[in-house]
Amino acid sequence: MKRALILLGCPEAPSQTPMAVYAVYKLTKMGYEVTVASTPSAMKLLEVSDPEEYYIDNKIDIESCLAKLEEGSFDLLVGFVHKDAAVSYFVTFYHILNIKSLAVVFERDPDVMEDLAKDIMESTDANVVSARAYHNPTPIRVKFDHAIKDLEE
Amino acid sequence: MSFCLETYLHESENYQILISRSGFKECKKLIIDHSPEVIYVKAGEKILGVRIIGVPPIAIGINEEEGTVTLPYTKPCYGTAVVELPLDKNEIKNIRSLNIK
Repeated sequence: MKRALILLGCPEAPSQTPMAVYAVYKLTKMGYEVTVASTPSAMKLLEVSDPEEYYIDNKIDIESCLAKLEEGSFDLLVGFVHKDAAVSYFVTFYHILNIKSLAVVFERDPDVMEDLAKDIMESTDANVVSARAYHNPTPIRVKFDHAIKDLEE
Repeated sequence: MSFCLETYLHESENYQILISRSGFKECKKLIIDHSPEVIYVKAGEKILGVRIIGVPPIAIGINEEEGTVTLPYTKPCYGTAVVELPLDKNEIKNIRSLNIK
């Protein structure tokens, strides 16, 4: 079975948690076994959102995940990026794993969004999609759907 | 026992935080400006028991005279900090051997 890793950033952006649940749902339907790597606080949000682990049953602390990560540990990396630190984490995971990767950048400020996306594009060959969003996950979901459709083809 | 950065930062006060809650570009510039010698490492390289997080090439500062190393330290919710800490010559030699430039 193909394995996907979803990388979450700081959970302060409200749209990240629903997007994480949605991304696990979509990737699972595509045949991936999905693991979500996040901070403990982002994990708490997932645990409350999906109490019976109906969608997300593989969760790991981001630091533990990074410590034991090796090239090829997964087949697909999807990262949600809305802060400078999330760029650093995504790029680091990308360079260790060396696999097909998608960065989903979202921010309410278009200039910041552009800078985050540019930083990733300049340092990786990952697919990068960007959406102006913070509370409302819909613009991110639309971009994510297009991007994973492209990955399937 | 090998040196572990996480444990050291929790248990020791013998280090300096040069900047905190910053971005990786600002931190890289500070390390370059602050350090007499700079080496560059790959993203995810294991240094002092932890993987170095950032956009490669990641700058690590070395001050041979003072016996210190200056490196970025990133956490998802707090951004990137730059930490300077004393290390023995062997640890500095190990870090220098990771230079990719």
